[in-house]
Amino acid sequence: MINLAQKDISHTFGKFIVTAMGVGMLLGIVLIMIGVYRGMIVDAESLLTDINADLWIVQEGTIGPFAEASRIPEDLKDSLKAVPGIDKSAAITFQNIQLPKKTKPVRVVAVGFNPFGDINPLNLTRIIAGRNINKSHYEIVVSAKTGFKLKDKIPLGRNIYNVVGVTKGTVSSSGDPLIFISLKDAQELQFSYSNNRIRNDRYRGIKNIESHIANAIIATVKAGYSAELVAQHINETQYKSVFTYQQQHTILVKNVVETASKQIGLFTAILVVVSTIIIALIIYTMTLEKIKEIAIMKLIGIPNSMIIKMIVQETLLLGLLAFVFGNIFSHLIYSKFPKRVVLEAPDALSLFFVILIASILASFIGVKKVISADPSTAIGG
Amino acid sequence: MSTQSIKVENLVKTFGQGENSINVIDGASFSVEKGELVALIAPSGAGKTTLLMMIGCVQEPTSGQIYLGDEKVYDNKWLTRETRKIRREKIGFIFQAHYLIPFLTVLENVTLLPQTNGKSKLEANTKAMELLTYFDIADKAHSMPSSLSGGQNQRVAIARALANNPEIILADEPTAALDLTRSIDVVKMLKKIAIDQNVAVIMVTHDEAMLPLCDRILKIDNKKVISVATKEITSV
Repeated sequence: MINLAQKDISHTFGKFIVTAMGVGMLLGIVLIMIGVYRGMIVDAESLLTDINADLWIVQEGTIGPFAEASRIPEDLKDSLKAVPGIDKSAAITFQNIQLPKKTKPVRVVAVGFNPFGDINPLNLTRIIAGRNINKSHYEIVVSAKTGFKLKDKIPLGRNIYNVVGVTKGTVSSSGDPLIFISLKDAQELQFSYSNNRIRNDRYRGIKNIESHIANAIIATVKAGYSAELVAQHINETQYKSVFTYQQQHTILVKNVVETASKQIGLFTAILVVVSTIIIALIIYTMTLEKIKEIAIMKLIGIPNSMIIKMIVQETLLLGLLAFVFGNIFSHLIYSKFPKRVVLEAPDALSLFFVILIASILASFIGVKKVISADPSTAIGG
Repeated sequence: MSTQSIKVENLVKTFGQGENSINVIDGASFSVEKGELVALIAPSGAGKTTLLMMIGCVQEPTSGQIYLGDEKVYDNKWLTRETRKIRREKIGFIFQAHYLIPFLTVLENVTLLPQTNGKSKLEANTKAMELLTYFDIADKAHSMPSSLSGGQNQRVAIARALANNPEIILADEPTAALDLTRSIDVVKMLKKIAIDQNVAVIMVTHDEAMLPLCDRILKIDNKKVISVATKEITSV
């Protein structure tokens, strides 16, 4: 039996491929959008995983330090060591800063930690050049994404910092590159004001603010202790908000990424609908172009089923080819995006099924046209 | 066994309803024998194509009877739901333009219907090649219609109409797009087919020059079909 779809496509092969490529680019963007969302999740988890603390102790009534601002005394790290079940604890700060550069400042998130403390938030496996900080002052470890290299000098606040290490893949929950500095330097950058500001504050009767503050205390729990119970104990005795690793993970994913993910999800859904409409319009146009031939086929007695099969097969093939082109397109361009894009096979598979259903729906419009085509229009010129 | 291939009795076709209704065909009765080439003439708008479509089971009449071969297919209503099957198995269509499927080769155009009817590819190809040889276009079997001349395409269209061994051929102004020489060739070909294949051919035409080549002439006159002699034709 002659396969009409195959013959029709062979006849207009170039046009069919170009059409599939066009739809494929649209699907590629859908995949990239999903990849951006996945990238946000990975970014959000990255720092949390690297720090790998069992407990996050933050300002009472807040869900800091990522989802809300949190200020907490640095010395809490010492008092926490007396809490049953606490193994190690350390103070940590996070702040957005701009690294000055000749062309354009680079926005980064600075992580301040005590290089001689119990917990090191820098995953050493991520260092691709140099070393970790081992001095209390003026050393900095930067992400390669910042463009700075080993031994570069970076002016921050009142001091010059030496780049002693370069990392790869260290990003904040918002996808900005991370830099690591000592806790003392971070506190100075975050909580120390300029001379003018201090003078001004004095005239206004404001006393200089305590700078021994951190954004969070991170702690690990001894083996055999339940992190939840230790967290509850700290909450009740120290009047602080305490989150376990899992809770902090949920906060990051729910509070920090959720809105963005909803936006991306909506955008992706709209793109899928637009793709479906475009496929439907293409199929409708392709059917209209063949309407005379369809009328002839109906007139000479070719059954509807055979003509419908042609339309459905062409639609499915268009969807399939567009999906393949979409994957190729997305894999070619994803690395060019400034933020992390994670392309995962299950997402592509889900999109494949969505496109399959969309193609079947889109073919209905062509099928309807076939059914309603009047064979008598073939007669009479 | 009857030699009659088409028989139409009291056929009526009304368009519209109530006061606005108009009878295009009103009580047409005629028959066409196997092996006959019959010309159907009438002024434009007189209902030639409508009549052809009713005989071809494309358009439903308002009332009357239609017999195709030994089978009564219409008796004030279609006697089968599968009018398309009747077209596929009993009727071959030839149009003003060739209307070949542009994405199929010449051979595929000719074998499409037989294969749809369940013939094997080999069987359909053999028959198609016989027909293409008969029409002297076998060398174009694997060409696309777009690469053939108008006359060649019309011959392919005739071959397609014959591919399924139809009992009836309905030709709607098959020479309208051809010059006189080609037109005469096509009508002679139809005549030869009518005899060789023993089929009834009804050919709608406006071309008076073709009429002497036909066995009989039917004319739609005052919404009825009458038989006329060639010499009586002054204008169609």
